[in-house]
Amino acid sequence: MRINRDVIVAIALLIICALFINASFRIKEATFGQMSSALWPRIILAPLTILSFVYLVRSLLQSEPVREKRGGLSGWIGYYKNPIVCFFLFFIFLITMPYFGMLIGGILFVFAMLTYLGGYRPRDIVVHGTIAVAAVGIMWSIFTFGLGVILPSGEIIPYL
Amino acid sequence: MIIENIINASVELFTISTVILMAVGVVAGLIAGAIPGFTFAMAVVLVLPFTFSMTPVAGLATMMGVYVGGLSGGLMSGILTGIPGTPSSVATTFDGFPMARNGQPGLALGLGVWSSFFGGILSAIVLVLVAPQIALIGLEFQPWDFFSLVIFALTVTASLAADNLLKGLISGLLGLLVATIGTDVIFGLPRLNFGSEALVQGFQFLPVLIGLFAFSQLLNDVRDPEMARSKISDGDAQSIKIEHRKAAIAVLKSWVNLLRSTIIGIFVGILPAAGSSISNILAYDQAKKSSKTPEKFGTGFSDGIIAPESANNATAGGTLITMMALGIPGDIVTAIMLGALLIHDVVPSPSFIADQPVIAYSIFISFFVATFMMLGLQSITLKGFVRITRLKMYILASIILFYTAVGVFALNNIEFDMWTLFLFGVFGFVLKALGFPIVPVILGVVLGSIAEKNLSQAFAITTDLAPFITRPWSLFFLTLGAVSIFFPAYQKSRGKEKWTLAFIPVFVMALSPSVFMMDGVIRPYAVAPILLVLGGFMLWRRISGGWVLDQDDTGALVDAPDPSQLDE
Repeated sequence: MRINRDVIVAIALLIICALFINASFRIKEATFGQMSSALWPRIILAPLTILSFVYLVRSLLQSEPVREKRGGLSGWIGYYKNPIVCFFLFFIFLITMPYFGMLIGGILFVFAMLTYLGGYRPRDIVVHGTIAVAAVGIMWSIFTFGLGVILPSGEIIPYL
Repeated sequence: MIIENIINASVELFTISTVILMAVGVVAGLIAGAIPGFTFAMAVVLVLPFTFSMTPVAGLATMMGVYVGGLSGGLMSGILTGIPGTPSSVATTFDGFPMARNGQPGLALGLGVWSSFFGGILSAIVLVLVAPQIALIGLEFQPWDFFSLVIFALTVTASLAADNLLKGLISGLLGLLVATIGTDVIFGLPRLNFGSEALVQGFQFLPVLIGLFAFSQLLNDVRDPEMARSKISDGDAQSIKIEHRKAAIAVLKSWVNLLRSTIIGIFVGILPAAGSSISNILAYDQAKKSSKTPEKFGTGFSDGIIAPESANNATAGGTLITMMALGIPGDIVTAIMLGALLIHDVVPSPSFIADQPVIAYSIFISFFVATFMMLGLQSITLKGFVRITRLKMYILASIILFYTAVGVFALNNIEFDMWTLFLFGVFGFVLKALGFPIVPVILGVVLGSIAEKNLSQAFAITTDLAPFITRPWSLFFLTLGAVSIFFPAYQKSRGKEKWTLAFIPVFVMALSPSVFMMDGVIRPYAVAPILLVLGGFMLWRRISGGWVLDQDDTGALVDAPDPSQLDE
């Protein structure tokens, strides 16, 4: 028996199941109708818990543990560095939305993503800046003026 | 009645603006389908926000254009670069690429285009003829039957995860669980929101879908720094001319292959979750097995292009049959269309075609028309494809990532939807990285509320569970669901273990009790006995043959990729 990635995932799934089962006992009961609001989530959680347990047992009993091709957690993070940074940039984009708004925030986000993924040379920075302004500007205009969608504006420059 | 519906739908559909939108949709689909890493499902997702401000007919016609275009677009990169644009065109590369390298790229493209065209047209005819009939059967369904249908849809989706049935089932259940968060669909009571006000409304289905599918896929495309910075493709196809006449004649000469592959495509499409990523490989495999010259396959043989391309376009008709006749989406594209219909307050159900004939027949006609448009626009988009593939992947991914955020916001004008997109983007990415298939999660999210509503209605009628096995359609779907659970084991052991010899006969016979219980004359008195006798005959043949395994029957499809990885 060895702790491998699947074992950790199975334990995480069991923890999620436990949290949801616990939360299902705090659902208010309707005073009418035949089926309680908690029944359907529990119908789902019962097989999910059983299957997660089977997954755990199967992972523990695996004769040959799955080799971590990417050398543990640090290797995994290195392997997925690009998506992790992109997720982080998107998170920053969302959290700063009230200040920058969709247009300015969008330009900054696309520029940051392009520059991180594409390179930092002066020529690249100019190209990325142009692409970010043009692409986001066009899209913002289509949604705002073409489709009549009022996109979030920021505190920095109201209405943009 | 049908003619009246067709006329009414045509009046709505054939406006200048809608026809232009459809043509734009076909071009967008063709280009998106041709770009490796950008599946046509992604193109349909991306086009969705633009349809909000359109009429339901115009919006759905545009999406249909993208769908049909996307299904055919994959053949361009598959044939010219050897890299399939979408999983639907994997088998096309087996013979398309060798034919192009042998100096006949124009003919290879022509064969692909005309096979797609004929497959699409035949499938559109079947759609128009069959969907209303299946919808009539759907009217027999009671809540127990719908609930069991959803269970079948989820088990068959999970079973497509092949070796990872367990992960497939867990994925499906996670999708169902996500759909329960927020507010109870029956009483409107808050549940499982962990005290968060933002979660009381639950997660909107489309941001979840776009996050799980498109967002996570885009970040997968830029995972490798080298790949992200390189051009999508170095193919140079500007001087190639599609040989239409020669190709059309060749496709028609191979009409048996065309017809067989189209039938395979439609049948696979009708099955929930089994999409064109599977049908193209299945059709190629059958074409090779049925050919008098199987050794020619893989060397640039025309039948090797005709089979997968006709099958993948025909699959679209099959998936639309299930969605329109029963209100159950079978794949991501039909799930998005279901979402688009819901935005316009149209709820697909067995009575959808009867209640909303204009919209239903608009979908039929637009599928038909889009197939013709695809034929005409393929040559034009060939040049566009070459230009777009000169772009670097990270540029496309960055811009589209921002676009998904804008599109998701435009859905309800709620900022929380963008957070939903982000959360489910992370969730989808992690699931994929851990080897869990995404499609069952998505179908779980879509089908969760349908299942709960029907279960609640069933319990409102009686708390007795017996109708789940005493009602014929419910038993029928539960039997299919049980079979689909064991199907991966059968596929793995086929040709190696003796119990697999009994699998198909027992499966066929197991279906007969539910058919015996059905109303009418044909089903209980003709179909059910035939199933029983057929299953018994197959079993008898195997027993009298000494219960010997067929060494050729290993069940392995030609270079078939793991279906769980084909998240289309």
